[in-house]
Amino acid sequence: MSGIETVKVIVEAEREAARILDMAQSKATAVRAQLDLQIQQQRELILQAAKKHAADILQRAEEEGKVEAQNYEKASEATVHDLVTKASLKKSAAVERLLGILLGGKG
Amino acid sequence: MSATGKFTADILTVANEKAQSIVANAETETQKALSDAKSHLSREAEDVVRNANTEAEGAKRRHISEARRRVKLKEQQEKSRILQGTLDQTRQRMTDMVRDQSSYLPYLVGLVENGIRELGINDVTVHLNQEDLKRIAKAKLEGEVGRKLGKPVKIEYAGRPIETSGGVIVANSDGKIRIVSTIEQTFEALESKMLIEAGKILFGD
Repeated sequence: MSGIETVKVIVEAEREAARILDMAQSKATAVRAQLDLQIQQQRELILQAAKKHAADILQRAEEEGKVEAQNYEKASEATVHDLVTKASLKKSAAVERLLGILLGGKG
Repeated sequence: MSATGKFTADILTVANEKAQSIVANAETETQKALSDAKSHLSREAEDVVRNANTEAEGAKRRHISEARRRVKLKEQQEKSRILQGTLDQTRQRMTDMVRDQSSYLPYLVGLVENGIRELGINDVTVHLNQEDLKRIAKAKLEGEVGRKLGKPVKIEYAGRPIETSGGVIVANSDGKIRIVSTIEQTFEALESKMLIEAGKILFGD
């Protein structure tokens, strides 16, 4: 191999090496460029799931709250009814006491 | 292999190794960044769920609190209705009493007696409503009052009737000092006290 041919072979090898490195850099750039997209996708996936979970929790709480409130009101109906019944039984005594206050200035 | 061949092969080997390293570094960096991002996103997601749990507790408490408020309001309305009914019934009993001379006259005697005591004089003017002016045995009333006070009194009856369902106004001779004991005034004056007393009886344990 002549000297010129030797130089040509070496230059060609260096060109090939440069091409290999360029390709590697391009690939690395592409990998990094994918990162933002991947993060964005993960963000949407994770937060959407969390929001769905949150919405389910809220809806369940609303429903449970309504049921508890209804149960409370239903139980309280009996209490109020009892209060009215007991008070009605004492009404005559109360009227007598008020008449006593009015007529005799008692109390 | 010739020396040139070995040299060029070395160049390409080094280039390939460096290329692999460049790509591997990019992938490692990316994986780490993605892992960090996921970790951060997980914390964000936990915050979203934690906030939802807090909000959910609030929502449940709000429903219960509103129910309690409605029940309390209903209870207050019922109590108020019963109290008002008791006052109305008392008022009706007073009206019945006014119609019954046998109980009304002693009541009037007591009112006039108290009026005279409060005024501290023996000579008074008594104001009655139109019906009482006609039907009350005035001499009897004067006699009863005097007997209860233990001294003679002089009662003059105002000719002009007062607007009331019963009771009296006892005034001094010039009418400047008046002890108002009409049923309406007595009711008004004692209403707060009566409500408290009725409440104790009706709703006390």
